[in-house]
Amino acid sequence: MKDFKHIGTNTGKIDALSLATGQSMFVDDISFPDMLQLKFLYSPHAHAIIEDIDTTLAEKYPGVGMVLTYKNTSRVIHTTAGQGWPEPSPYDTYMFNRKMRYIGDRVAAVAAETEEIAQEALKLIKVQYKVLPAVLDMEDAMKDEAPIIHDEPEVKGAYDPKRNLAAHILVKVGDVEKGFAESDVVVEDTFEVPYAQHCPIEPHVTITYLDEYGRIVIRTSTQVPFHVRRIVAQVLDIPVQKIRVIKPRIGGGFGVKQEIILEDVCAYVTMKTGKPTRALYTREEEFVSSRTRHQMKVNVKIGAKKDGTFNAVKMYVLSNTGAYGTHALTVASNAGSKTLPLYNKAPNVEYIADVIYTNLPIAGAYRGYGATQGYACLEQVVDEVAHKLELTPLEIRQKNHIKSGETSPIFRALGEGREGVTQYMQSCALDELIEKGAKEIGWLEKYGKKTRNGSKVRGIGMSIHMQGSAIPLVDMGAATLKMNEDASFNLMYGGTDLGTGLDTIAAQIVAETLGIKPEQVIVYAADTDLTPFDVGAYASSGTFISGGAVLRAAMKIREQIFEVVREMFGEYDARDFVLEDGKVTSKKTGKSVTLSEIAYQTLYVKNQHQIAATGSMVSPYSPPPFAAHFVEIEVDEETGIITPIKYVTAVDCGTPLNPELVRGQIIGALVNGLSYALFEEYKFTDSGRMIGSNFMEYRIPSTRDIPEIVPIIVRTYEPTGPYGAKSVAEININGPIPAIGNALYDAIGVRVHKVPYIPERVLEAIRNKK
Amino acid sequence: MLKLKNVKSCFTPNSIQEAIDMLKKSDGKAALVGGGLDITVFPNPIIEQFIFLNKLGLTYIREDEENIKIGATSTITDIAKAPVMQNYLKGNVKIALAEIASELLRNQITIGGSIARHHFYSDIIPALYALRATIMVSDGELIEGFFVDDFYRNDLKTLMETCIVVGVHLNKYDDSFQFGLKRFVRNATDIALLNMAILAQIEEGVIKDVSISVGSRPGPAYRFEQGEAFLRGEKLTEVLAKDFESFTKSNVDVAKDMRLSKEYRQHLAGIYAKEILLDFIGGVR
Amino acid sequence: MKVCYSINGKKKEFEINAGEVLLDVLRRNGYFEVKGNCYMGTCGACTVLIDGLPYTSCTMLAAKVDGSEITTIKGIGTLQNPHPLQKAFVEKGAVQCGFCTPGTILVAYALLKNNPDPTDDDIKKMLDGNLCRCTGYVQQIEAVKLAAKMLKKGDE
Ligand SMILES: Cc1cc2nc3c(=O)[nH]c(=O)nc-3n(C[C@H](O)[C@H](O)[C@H](O)COP(=O)(O)OP(=O)(O)OC[C@H]3O[C@@H](n4cnc5c(N)ncnc54)[C@H](O)[C@@H]3O)c2cc1C
Ligand code: FES
Ligand code: FES
Repeated sequence: MKDFKHIGTNTGKIDALSLATGQSMFVDDISFPDMLQLKFLYSPHAHAIIEDIDTTLAEKYPGVGMVLTYKNTSRVIHTTAGQGWPEPSPYDTYMFNRKMRYIGDRVAAVAAETEEIAQEALKLIKVQYKVLPAVLDMEDAMKDEAPIIHDEPEVKGAYDPKRNLAAHILVKVGDVEKGFAESDVVVEDTFEVPYAQHCPIEPHVTITYLDEYGRIVIRTSTQVPFHVRRIVAQVLDIPVQKIRVIKPRIGGGFGVKQEIILEDVCAYVTMKTGKPTRALYTREEEFVSSRTRHQMKVNVKIGAKKDGTFNAVKMYVLSNTGAYGTHALTVASNAGSKTLPLYNKAPNVEYIADVIYTNLPIAGAYRGYGATQGYACLEQVVDEVAHKLELTPLEIRQKNHIKSGETSPIFRALGEGREGVTQYMQSCALDELIEKGAKEIGWLEKYGKKTRNGSKVRGIGMSIHMQGSAIPLVDMGAATLKMNEDASFNLMYGGTDLGTGLDTIAAQIVAETLGIKPEQVIVYAADTDLTPFDVGAYASSGTFISGGAVLRAAMKIREQIFEVVREMFGEYDARDFVLEDGKVTSKKTGKSVTLSEIAYQTLYVKNQHQIAATGSMVSPYSPPPFAAHFVEIEVDEETGIITPIKYVTAVDCGTPLNPELVRGQIIGALVNGLSYALFEEYKFTDSGRMIGSNFMEYRIPSTRDIPEIVPIIVRTYEPTGPYGAKSVAEININGPIPAIGNALYDAIGVRVHKVPYIPERVLEAIRNKK
Repeated sequence: MLKLKNVKSCFTPNSIQEAIDMLKKSDGKAALVGGGLDITVFPNPIIEQFIFLNKLGLTYIREDEENIKIGATSTITDIAKAPVMQNYLKGNVKIALAEIASELLRNQITIGGSIARHHFYSDIIPALYALRATIMVSDGELIEGFFVDDFYRNDLKTLMETCIVVGVHLNKYDDSFQFGLKRFVRNATDIALLNMAILAQIEEGVIKDVSISVGSRPGPAYRFEQGEAFLRGEKLTEVLAKDFESFTKSNVDVAKDMRLSKEYRQHLAGIYAKEILLDFIGGVR
Repeated sequence: MKVCYSINGKKKEFEINAGEVLLDVLRRNGYFEVKGNCYMGTCGACTVLIDGLPYTSCTMLAAKVDGSEITTIKGIGTLQNPHPLQKAFVEKGAVQCGFCTPGTILVAYALLKNNPDPTDDDIKKMLDGNLCRCTGYVQQIEAVKLAAKMLKKGDE
């Protein structure tokens, strides 16, 4: 393994001190004196048509700047999914519409001098609804007699809206039926994962204003500034040129900010009124009217030979996209494409997904992106196969998991809403992950022992995972670097740091490549006027794509520096040059020149030019990171309460560019996953209204809820990634559901088929067993 | 967002008398403010005036021979940290208090506010029932002590139009008494969905006296008198604990809502009843 | 009505609405370092110290704390001269998006004032009202312990 100076070190997050001292500016930390406040009116019906809407009184209310409804806004059908163009999500959404598709759908908005005035004015809007029959259940929505949710003729890209099918996927490799017939054991099971929310502590917020040339500036809490610019231009029917999107510091995203929710409306108000406009979601709006995780029912059937090798794997996913189809197809693709290649030994594989419209809140992108749901089932069924064959969970996985140098036909067959790209694993430490994780949890001593203390029984469980690093041949990012007199460099790039530390990693990559310190890199990111393009932060693409672009730009700078040095030294072979500690030295002659001298020379003296370069990164590979999760739990047989005791997660993310930041991503995702496994879920009334849309009822974990957590980072080198790195941000959210499920089975021999594993459900499962 | 937009004025009276005069004059439009957590989180549009209680000298925890006296504006943090609470009933009351809500809210929630708002949350009230607390109420002239059960038999709304809670008195219990509280929360800082508190006097292995209270959100907490009768005079054994578990399951009265079924709450109440008694057996040994 | 606070050591007078909560008064007057959004006391992002004790400013009536000393994150350290807690949070990777960080550090600050040598459990109990969706808390807890060490070594 190569020796690095800055790569692999714990460079402090470059924005951390500013954040920790309260200096940093988030979207809402500016204010304009004449700013309008935007508030929304939401549909009280799960399915309805607005027969008429009267806004006269609201418009007359003192202090109101503008009232928006379907009557006075642009009618451009689009998707709110912030994805690359052309988007794989169906076009099924308008800024405002007559048709209401869930409780929380947008009826109207008021922009007024204060939030209070806007709120009052909303009450004056009179709406006449024609209420339609609603459908809240995925299976019901598929029936012939189900009401059609998207019956407008303009809808484009949905698979079969007449049957409420937003998307459908069918991928076959070999012949699974034949495969099952030729297997010694066949095991099948179904697990259901619920609606859940990302809960960034900063909700969606956007401020728009006109600059001095009349262009619209959108300051917004987004993961996808460039997609925001493109989609707002599309919806408002104005040129991209008229819009500037700025992403300042962002209070977390986790996928929910990969969506254009407030930006178009805010920009529209600013465009029409000329006034700065601010829209800030309340926590309740964040739950009901932003985006959620796709509720899914996942069925997995595995056929295996006596020795444990898989012969056929079939996965069926029923996914609920809610009222609109944002990320409908791609999340469902990932439920298969990020899970099935893990077991590449099976010659027969089939993946089917149906993505259903219902009259419930809108699902979207959420850390894990379908893989979380896929693994919830797959990794429990793998354990079930092991039990049938009297193999241990470790053995069955060791027999079947993908290894370095191998591929899976799924990579090609199932891409991101289209055909994928063949991939051979160039780095895969799964064997080592399993071994190290098992050792740390004490697998040999504990597995199957069911240690009991009164009604409390201990159990351990495990699961293995992969994700990806960006979408191959789709995601692109670019970075520009320029050199200053003191050998500092401005890095301008489109990468979108939501708190993950991407800006820091970018600085480390530049420092490593140019022989300087990370402090010498001035990072400016995610501003559509001032930085080059980047698709944004999703699909675990930050380090791999944005970081890769930074590396490419830095490599070009290196070349430009050497070009100057060649002339200065009168030497021609750059292989003799060493760029280190802020200077270039010739190994052959011992001559040396500092970067600062080079900068002065090129800026002021001789052969004058700006040393600067732009690098772009798009990759035919999406090297998967891998993880092995191990958990010890205690389950109280009397109450059904599960208490995680210790959680070990061993992760291969290639080179950990900054181990402390990697640790943060591992633990953060893991705790989110734990909470998803144990307490988080949406509850709805019979009419489709979310109950308890606040943190008092929707419980997310606090310091008092976390078990002992041991992250283990196993270093590999991924040749396609910057300095050997792969992604790490998403993968660890996928483990807790299956690992705890498997531990529960180890402890007391039951499976709970509906997540989260709340005590009442566990107890019911215990009773059903008896 | 201004949630309490109808509030026009605030007063910080210096005496209880003054506070009550203002309250009476307000025609139901004034709110007494203890910590103000309920007031701000669940704004009542009727309210036009605040009466802050922080200058009434009611933030104290004192003791005399018989009682621990807690002033109404003492917060949960104040109480849990008070020296007299550290060993009171083996520190078990303090431990129960320190688990409520979160640090930030424990700093704000006052005992007076919690008592006056009893029907909404039940986390503190079961403890007060079991401890047979005396709620001290003043109408400006007299301070009257209500036994907690009697206090909640009042029409609280009417009583609180002319009175304020000034404090609570807890009996000092000797070593023959044990206290235990168990609660069910969805995660650590949740407001309990079910809780049970038991105070028992155990002499020579026999339960001489006992009080039990059960709270189940959103219902009010109550004294589980049937359970008390079941235990009183019985020998405290593991068998009794088991019997009491099943007795409780079939006799306890609990609320249900979308958070948790009635059946599961009854089941839990039974288990908590058993576990607290088993803890008592451990405590006696 | 008028209220008067001492904020981060400076006397300030504000015109407020009688029903307003402290969070709104502070942000309206440019104290943007105080975050928050839930307005229910459930996230802790709006934490400030009032006379040294941490509270959620979204549930604190601004009028009730008239005359108090209020400390925001800017009152305990600056970019140029950070408090050991701020340094430790950076060093331990305890700051991700940083939206929860000001509140969390203020609570930790109050903890270390009274308990210079906290255990993991003390820290968990004290920080239980400051939700963080990014870090999973482990590095925050490590950071508080590191800061305690730094403070003991006299690194004020
Ligand atoms: C997010 C959140 C979490 C919570 N978690 C818990 C929990 O885990 N456990 C729990 O038990 N509770 C919990 N609570 C509820 C909390 O205990 C109540 O809100 C409590 O009433 C707050 O006390 P306070 O002093 O702030 O009340 P205030 O808001 O000041 O007052 C509450 C009511 O009592 C009246 N009042 C106040 N003081 C007096 C007095 N001395 N005499 C007469 N009337 C008075 C007020 O007029 C008002 O009507 C939680 C509340 C919130 C918002
Ligand atoms: S905004 Fe105050 S606790 Fe969330
Ligand atoms: S760092 Fe993002 S919420 Fe804590």
